Amino acid sequence: MARINTSREDNPVLDTVSVWLYVLLVIIGLISVYSATSEVNQTFQFSFSSIAGRQLIWIGGAVIIILTIAFANVAIIDYFAYGFYGFAILLNIAVLFLGKEVSGAKSWFGFGGFGIQPSEFAKVATALAIAKYLGTYGIRFKGTRNVVITMSLFLTPMLLILAQNDTGSALVFLSFFLVLYREGLPGWILLSAVWLIVIAIARIVMEATGISHLWTMGTLSLLAALIVYFGRKNRQLIIATLFVAAASAVFSVAVGFAYTKILKGYQRDRIELVLNLKQDTRNMGYNLEQSRIAIGAGQFVGRGFLKGTQTKMGFVPEQHTDFIFCTIGEEWGFVGVLVFFGLYFGLLFRIVTLAERQSTAFGRVLGYGVVCILFFHVAINIGMTIGIIPVIGIPLPFISFGGSSLWAFTLLLFLFLKVDEKRR
Amino acid sequence: MDLHRNRKFVYLGLFSLVALVYLIQIFRLQILDDHYEQKAINNALNKIPIYPDRSIIYDRNGKLLVHNIAMYDLIVFPAKAKGIDTAQFCEIMKISGEDYHKYMATARENSKKRQKNNVFNGSAVFMSNLSKEQYSAIQENLYRFPGFSVEPKTDRLYAVKGGAHMLGYLGEASKKLLAKDPYYRPGDLVGVTGIEHTYEAYIRGVKGVKTVWQDRTYTERGEAKDNEFNSPAQAGPDFYSSIDFDLQEFGESLLANKRGSVVAIEPSTGEILALINKPDYDPNLLVGEARARSFRQLLIDPKKPLYNRAIKGVYPPGSTFKTVMALIGCQEGVLKPSTTHGCSGGYHLGSLTVGCHPHPSPTDLKGSIGISCNAYYCQLFRDIIDNPRYPNVKTGYAALEKHLRSFGLGSKLGVDLPGENKGNVPTIKQLDKRHGKSWKSSMIISLAIGQGEILLTPMQMANCAAIIANKGWFITPHLVKGIGVKKYLPDEFKKKHYTTVSELYYDWIINGMEMVTKPGGTAFGTGINDIVICSKTGTAQNPHGQDHSLYIAFAPREKPKIAIAVIVENGGYGATWAAPIANLMIENYLNRGKEPQRPDMLERIRTSTVN
Ligand SMILES: [Zn+2]
Repeated sequence: MARINTSREDNPVLDTVSVWLYVLLVIIGLISVYSATSEVNQTFQFSFSSIAGRQLIWIGGAVIIILTIAFANVAIIDYFAYGFYGFAILLNIAVLFLGKEVSGAKSWFGFGGFGIQPSEFAKVATALAIAKYLGTYGIRFKGTRNVVITMSLFLTPMLLILAQNDTGSALVFLSFFLVLYREGLPGWILLSAVWLIVIAIARIVMEATGISHLWTMGTLSLLAALIVYFGRKNRQLIIATLFVAAASAVFSVAVGFAYTKILKGYQRDRIELVLNLKQDTRNMGYNLEQSRIAIGAGQFVGRGFLKGTQTKMGFVPEQHTDFIFCTIGEEWGFVGVLVFFGLYFGLLFRIVTLAERQSTAFGRVLGYGVVCILFFHVAINIGMTIGIIPVIGIPLPFISFGGSSLWAFTLLLFLFLKVDEKRR
Repeated sequence: MDLHRNRKFVYLGLFSLVALVYLIQIFRLQILDDHYEQKAINNALNKIPIYPDRSIIYDRNGKLLVHNIAMYDLIVFPAKAKGIDTAQFCEIMKISGEDYHKYMATARENSKKRQKNNVFNGSAVFMSNLSKEQYSAIQENLYRFPGFSVEPKTDRLYAVKGGAHMLGYLGEASKKLLAKDPYYRPGDLVGVTGIEHTYEAYIRGVKGVKTVWQDRTYTERGEAKDNEFNSPAQAGPDFYSSIDFDLQEFGESLLANKRGSVVAIEPSTGEILALINKPDYDPNLLVGEARARSFRQLLIDPKKPLYNRAIKGVYPPGSTFKTVMALIGCQEGVLKPSTTHGCSGGYHLGSLTVGCHPHPSPTDLKGSIGISCNAYYCQLFRDIIDNPRYPNVKTGYAALEKHLRSFGLGSKLGVDLPGENKGNVPTIKQLDKRHGKSWKSSMIISLAIGQGEILLTPMQMANCAAIIANKGWFITPHLVKGIGVKKYLPDEFKKKHYTTVSELYYDWIINGMEMVTKPGGTAFGTGINDIVICSKTGTAQNPHGQDHSLYIAFAPREKPKIAIAVIVENGGYGATWAAPIANLMIENYLNRGKEPQRPDMLERIRTSTVN
């Protein structure tokens, strides 16, 4: 880490707080991966061919990335933003034809024993490209043309990754909506999205449990009628309410159709399990239950390093990648979780602060891009292991085993820190 | 121009909200719900039982009766047993394909049950008690059959050929037992009857536990050391039985080729010295892989070799009952040694006649026992229940019934064997039903000579002999002498039970019993010269055939060492079979090491067949 000392405008450095939080999280990740792939109470053993050993190699690569960024000229970032984006799009198209299939998704380039997942780098490239676009002099997130271009910048890679059949990674691009809120995307659009999610969940609960539609419809109609009655002086409110009611009804029917006719059985199962509509001790339900058992077994101070049987005996699925949080929960308990949350959300808060001190729209949008992508990953990944959110296979940044994701997130964070260092 | 600077707080608020909600959920999982740790342990720890040796069983003199032999069970993890070459497997194990599927289905069911109980993960017995051939064949080929393993356990090995009914046998734990007692797992051997059953809790020892880590695919991932669940197996403590096995074996040889039962008790302690039934079986039949097959054969054998007559069979006690009636008569004040009654070929009252054999008449109490006069006891019976001190016959009878019950009759004695029969002492209710409400003593007079509704087990008869030997009390007969180094004996086998007949009267009856083997007595000619045997013969009427030959006795008269009851079914007079068998056994027990005085009688009994 280059030239770390006190932050002074005339002697700029990479933000010390962020760098240290990053370092601590990566170390926690390495320890967790080592533990998740060990035997219970195993005496220390290490080899570079082990999973933890390979993670260490990836970390070495991440250090090289950091040093390169630290010593590079910040202008290059701005200059190559679109080029990098174009390259990432090309890679994501190419992988559709040349990639190898891993557990149903065609999203990997294989090189001998190693693999690269271009979708991870698409996140970085997209964040850069949107920052570059909205940072261009005279362009703001306003007006049809600008909005359409901005949206296409992240919906394009999203669709490509959906085509790769990697739903989890594709969903991550939704986090750019969150970025755009800072740039002026009206709040009601995000609120509408939340409202639609509520409607969708309500509809799914009805479909799955067989509660009569009439009850819900009746209640909602009554609610709408009350608003109309009490707001009869306000024509705009009446129109808005009726519009929302009509749109909600249409959307609800659409969700019902999609849920029963389009979604496959296992997809319905995942959703129903999280909504607690289904008791299943095999397969998906089994995995979720095991994940909860792992975390619950940690209790206050945890079962101890290398003592988590849930994660080491294969009960928790993908214990060193997507479900790595189980190892932290099981072995370090609530105390460990508190420390971990402190570090992680500390980093998120720090990035927001850094983003806000940017003098350019480029820096600010990039900063929000970084924090929203990280937040989306953390919320989905941990939410999944504790049974609040359906199982969506995305890694926990800096913690989960995997080179592509570690490098991509390192790149993402340190590009922003470099921009922050050189802020004017 | 930055119009939306304040929106930063929306982000910080959103992050904080999510962090808070997640922490609350994690708090619920980790702190509020404490089931998860146990669930995690149940998942990953497989508790493998270590089978202890069952107790070694000795007789009262330290003679080895039962010990153990290593046996093997074939265990299967149904979840791992994939791609088995069934044909090859059946070929090696010498079982049919049908058997294979049957065993596998049972194992799968059992393993599921165990998973549900979170006791053991995934494995179950496929076949228990492999034969030597099966064991060596599968041992060599185990690598071909993933999911299969061989687990050692112990089975019984009998050092003796006799004593089957008192030792009992082992069998696989029944479904009922498995449901009731979590200690057992399917395929476990458990005492089904005899000592093995009654003292199962001691004899089985304590199973040990070896815990191993086991992953989701039931693959062992090393031993879980320093674990609270680990414990060594503890062998069952040495079990000392009260049986004198030399006497037992001797008695069994006498009863060979006959049907009947012998019970011998040490009167002062209630310890059972011998418990013999014929027909019986060789206990070695019911071990190992032949167990189930042999058991089925024994079960359908028309000779009923599994039947423990000594405690389950009930017989009218016949004339042996006169001893008890005489005691009650004395207690009731209607009989003294000098009481005499005449006998003219039997007892006559109106149209009623109870026949008697020819003998000098009249007799006193002593003589009435020695020559077993029926008329004497019919008179005595009427004196007891028609006694003018009672307002009517029913109150008289109630007094009699109370005395009889104090001898342990009509109810289970509480012997330490399962399935004891109560026998029967007719209640007033029973008599009302049988003879109408207004019966008279004459209508139930056959009770006087031990016939009719009165029924005793051989154990109860032997216990009556022990009561007389003790002059008024008994300790519940039992097969245990002591368990373990401290020779533990359950308290119920230390307690004296007193009869309602005073100690004063016993000598009067014993005087008569001493006459039985003397000249003029009913068992004259079967006695042993240097031993004073006090006894009583009996013949139990048998509506289905030849009468049963009965005999109760104790010896010596002073400080009695043995009380005995013998019944030989269809043996006719008591003196013919039961008396010589009992007296020879008394001789064997008391004159241990000396030459038998009656080799002729011994030879005759041993070689005779009665059926
Ligand atoms: Zn007579």
